[in-house]
Amino acid sequence: MQEQNFHLSDEQLLLFLEGELPKNAAGAAREHVEGCWRCRARCKEFEQAIGDFIRVHQDGLEAKLPAAGPRALLRAQMAERVSAESGNHGFAARVPLRALWAAAACVALAVGWLVVRTEMEWRSGARPGESVSLPDASLTPGATVLLSRQAVCREENIKNKTVPVALRRRVFQEYGMPRAESRAYEVDYLITPALGGAEDIHNLWPQPYSSVWNAQVKDELEDRLRELVCSGSLDLSEAQREIASDWVGAYKKYFHTDRPLEEHRRSSSGANEAK
Amino acid sequence: MAPDELIRENHAGAAPLLANAAVSRGALRIEEEVVALFDEFREPLGRYLLALGLPVPDTEEIIQETFLSLFEHLKKGKPRDRIRGWLFRVAHNLGLKRRNESRRMCGAARDANEIEELVADPSPGPEEQLSSREMGRRVRAVVRALSEQDRRCLYLRAEGLRYRELADVLDMSLAAVSISLARSLGRIARVTER
Repeated sequence: MQEQNFHLSDEQLLLFLEGELPKNAAGAAREHVEGCWRCRARCKEFEQAIGDFIRVHQDGLEAKLPAAGPRALLRAQMAERVSAESGNHGFAARVPLRALWAAAACVALAVGWLVVRTEMEWRSGARPGESVSLPDASLTPGATVLLSRQAVCREENIKNKTVPVALRRRVFQEYGMPRAESRAYEVDYLITPALGGAEDIHNLWPQPYSSVWNAQVKDELEDRLRELVCSGSLDLSEAQREIASDWVGAYKKYFHTDRPLEEHRRSSSGANEAK
Repeated sequence: MAPDELIRENHAGAAPLLANAAVSRGALRIEEEVVALFDEFREPLGRYLLALGLPVPDTEEIIQETFLSLFEHLKKGKPRDRIRGWLFRVAHNLGLKRRNESRRMCGAARDANEIEELVADPSPGPEEQLSSREMGRRVRAVVRALSEQDRRCLYLRAEGLRYRELADVLDMSLAAVSISLARSLGRIARVTER
């Protein structure tokens, strides 16, 4: 290490500050810096520069990161890979104990689903025998990514991304419908990505095409809410909350009707493609 | 069928099942390990990818891809040491590949500094906020003027990677890492002198 009347280079000072010097060299550097005001001042400048950079760098980027990561999607994709390799057809089938739990959960979910569905039919005013389409709040509470209103409204392509097959299958499993005819359902986003909804299992549910309150009727509501949000008439978080808590109720509120409008139902016929 | 033949048959039938169950238990353990690492590193990886100039949806996809690669890596029994560096290296490579593809398809991708400009808080505030905004503007200007490699060094160091890890991720020597960081911080220090 240099004599007292020499100074450490910027690289040496930084290595010292960062704890990257070997032990012996670090001791010598510490001794030098303690006795050298110029090197101490330079160390302080480096510390301040690090502070200034980190503030600018992290503050800005953190605002863009979605708060909750799609952990469920990762799990589903890993499970899919394992079952593809082992030749099994489901994640639950891989472990007997897990299969038992899954079977028990399926029964419980099926019962729960029937109860919820009956209650929702009653609440939505559907005619007897008409299926309605509201998600189970415990399975699909809705999930969002952290986006500003400007970012949501700047996006021109509001067509929903196709839900990956593995995730679709997982949604059916979660709802206790592993053998459901997938063509009869749209695995739909509860909070549409066009309103900041996340591609997360907690934001997806199987919505039957056959119901009166089906995915296409919901698409009309999503378009209306987005218009309101982007024109500044409705807060983005309020729109997300309304669609997540009771989208049928929100439709009735914003279209001033108790039943899906004829033109929305007509536009929906045959349109099985997820928007 | 003789009793010993029955026993042999049962063993033959049970062996694949037992092997399957063992594989499943192993895979489940690895899944849990990967999910724990996902929870720990998703944010730092996300910040780094965003800083590289990738949009949020691409960032999320690359993070998923990175952890699926980790899942495969661990399933093959490959080493678990230096996982943080490994994750950043994979995400870095996937990020650059994705960015180059986007550039080919739709022209230049937005670079990190433009993103920093976009996410900077534009709201007016008291005097101290003004000076802090001015400081932020100067820091961004310096970072924008750095070489891409110097910027990557800064971004990775900001996520807590040590010099050895930085050298591995960016394929540089240790000396080059310290020269790069000293150069960048020296420039930032010059414009933010108090």
